[in-house]
Amino acid sequence: MSGEPVDPLADPRDRGGPRQPLLTVRGLVKHFPVGKNILGRSTNVVRAVDDVDFDLLKGETLGIVGESGCGKSTTARLLMHLIEPDRGNIIFDGEVVGQELSLREYRRQVQMVFQDSYASLNPRLTIEDSIAFAPQVHGVSRRESLNRAHDLLSRVGLEPNRFAGRYPHELSGGQRQRINIARALALEPRLIILDEAVSALDKSVEAQVLNLLLDLKDAFGLTYIFISHDLNVVRFISDRVMVMYLGKVAEIGTAGDIFDRPAHPYSGALLSSMPAMDPDARTLEAPLYGDPPNPINPPPGCRFHTRCTAVEAVCSKLEPQLAATSTNQQVSCLKYQPGSGHSAAPPALEAAE
Amino acid sequence: MVVALEGKAVVAPIQVSEGYWRGVMRRLSRNPVAMIALGIIVLLILMAVLAPYLAPADPVKGSMLRRLRPVGTPGYPLGADELGRDMLSRLIFGARLSLFMGVTPVLMAFVIGSGLGIFAGYVGGKLNTAIMRTIDIFYAFPSVLLAVALSGALGAGITNALVSLTIVFIPPITRVAESVTTQVRNRDYVEAARASGAGGVTIVRVHVLGNVLSPIFVYATSLISVAMILASGLSFLGLGVKPPEPEWGLMLNTLRTAIYVNPLVAALPGVMIFITSISFNLFSDGLRSAMDVRS
Repeated sequence: MSGEPVDPLADPRDRGGPRQPLLTVRGLVKHFPVGKNILGRSTNVVRAVDDVDFDLLKGETLGIVGESGCGKSTTARLLMHLIEPDRGNIIFDGEVVGQELSLREYRRQVQMVFQDSYASLNPRLTIEDSIAFAPQVHGVSRRESLNRAHDLLSRVGLEPNRFAGRYPHELSGGQRQRINIARALALEPRLIILDEAVSALDKSVEAQVLNLLLDLKDAFGLTYIFISHDLNVVRFISDRVMVMYLGKVAEIGTAGDIFDRPAHPYSGALLSSMPAMDPDARTLEAPLYGDPPNPINPPPGCRFHTRCTAVEAVCSKLEPQLAATSTNQQVSCLKYQPGSGHSAAPPALEAAE
Repeated sequence: MVVALEGKAVVAPIQVSEGYWRGVMRRLSRNPVAMIALGIIVLLILMAVLAPYLAPADPVKGSMLRRLRPVGTPGYPLGADELGRDMLSRLIFGARLSLFMGVTPVLMAFVIGSGLGIFAGYVGGKLNTAIMRTIDIFYAFPSVLLAVALSGALGAGITNALVSLTIVFIPPITRVAESVTTQVRNRDYVEAARASGAGGVTIVRVHVLGNVLSPIFVYATSLISVAMILASGLSFLGLGVKPPEPEWGLMLNTLRTAIYVNPLVAALPGVMIFITSISFNLFSDGLRSAMDVRS
């Protein structure tokens, strides 16, 4: 990669300065109706994403982890507005998406890379046409967008002269995922959502693509949301990590804090499911028992209380709120919520801190 | 790891994969069954176009003295029909109307049905339900009955027969179009196109059409043989082609009384319908596999 890293704050589109988060998500809710009665009214809802709040800082990589079904991918699709949220606001650099900032303009600045590298490329389009499609939608001439496609191909490590005219089925999985990354870059976005973008690749290719992502982040001044179930990969690439459980944020904090000092009992259990590299440090006990509860009827109170090791009576009654345990770590657990009634909780604070 | 472009003086020519249709043609040409079927279809079309030059006799001039001559009679290589008309000439001329009656309604239904189905499939939701349930009403009738009822209501004649056959074929084509479009609509590349801010029309034009038209087209080709048989049924009931026009279906029906007297001659129009329909079927089959880019 050539040139100095680009500072994301040097982007002429930047408005709020370094202190303003690139993306602020408040109260994001998506419930999917399931099962309809005879009148066509749904009888149940899957609470796929239930009141999710987080901030994404400029130039950082936020990892989102959790078991399957915890709402990671739904969150990604909501952020991309591929599905409409039931409630909640997405604020991009100070502007509410869909109100002050039009969806079309938002999508110019936020792009997404999907997990299935084959399904996310049109089998009937050549590589260059696939990459050049988005700029043409936004009014760039065909010639110029093809030039941009060739330039991006070389930026993602594929020889444009060899690959531009090919079809997706002629490439390997790793090459296709590079194409998908190039396509996401074609609109010169500021934020890229990577939804399990490297999960389908084998380990050596995965490492190459991860390094490519880091290079591109510097070169284009990007911000990433990196969704994965692979904790090692998340630890490698993320600055901050958000742990989700059953559609809610369990814990959010810097990667170092989450991986070394997980506060939420679920984070701890999730991390201990990582196989240890040291055979002496291997765990014989399963960190958690049982499956996640059904998101159609999530348990009352704290959603994790059915599997939690620190469960107390209050956990099934009171729903925990995200509370800061340190300047850069927030946990949604009654153990850390002042005055919650949990035996480990700190005493209630007075109004003034 | 990332290839830098600086200092690359050598400009290699762009390697372009063969175009999509060129690849389809190449794979199709390697399929002997499909090529033979295509050859027969081409011969049939040539036969229809050049009928006046190929036919040895007038297809409508009969003679009561030469009724039901067997195959091989001198001057009547394929015999004579129940009114003493030369079978060979009638079969050659019959290709004109039979092919026309088979291809035209399917073509019209392909245009209307794909439009309707792709629209319903892409838009989804309540509009989809409204369109598809309306289409389902037509499914309640057997296709022969529907064709007869529509032709009867519109009145006899070739044009009305074509219109009624078109209406008969719109529902199945719409169904196929809707189901493939619904599948394609949920693919990640359509999601990615939406995420890039493209509008519905652009997405359908660039990403949907190319991926749905070939399965619909292949299905439509397989309907041509059905259309020919339905058209002959209409002719038999006096709703389509009228005697003495030569048309295979009509010939088959008028000759049915001679099946005990001269079975070979009576079966000949059926043989022509069979050859035509199986050729279209085999060709569409070959087209289907040739259009699969991964093969």
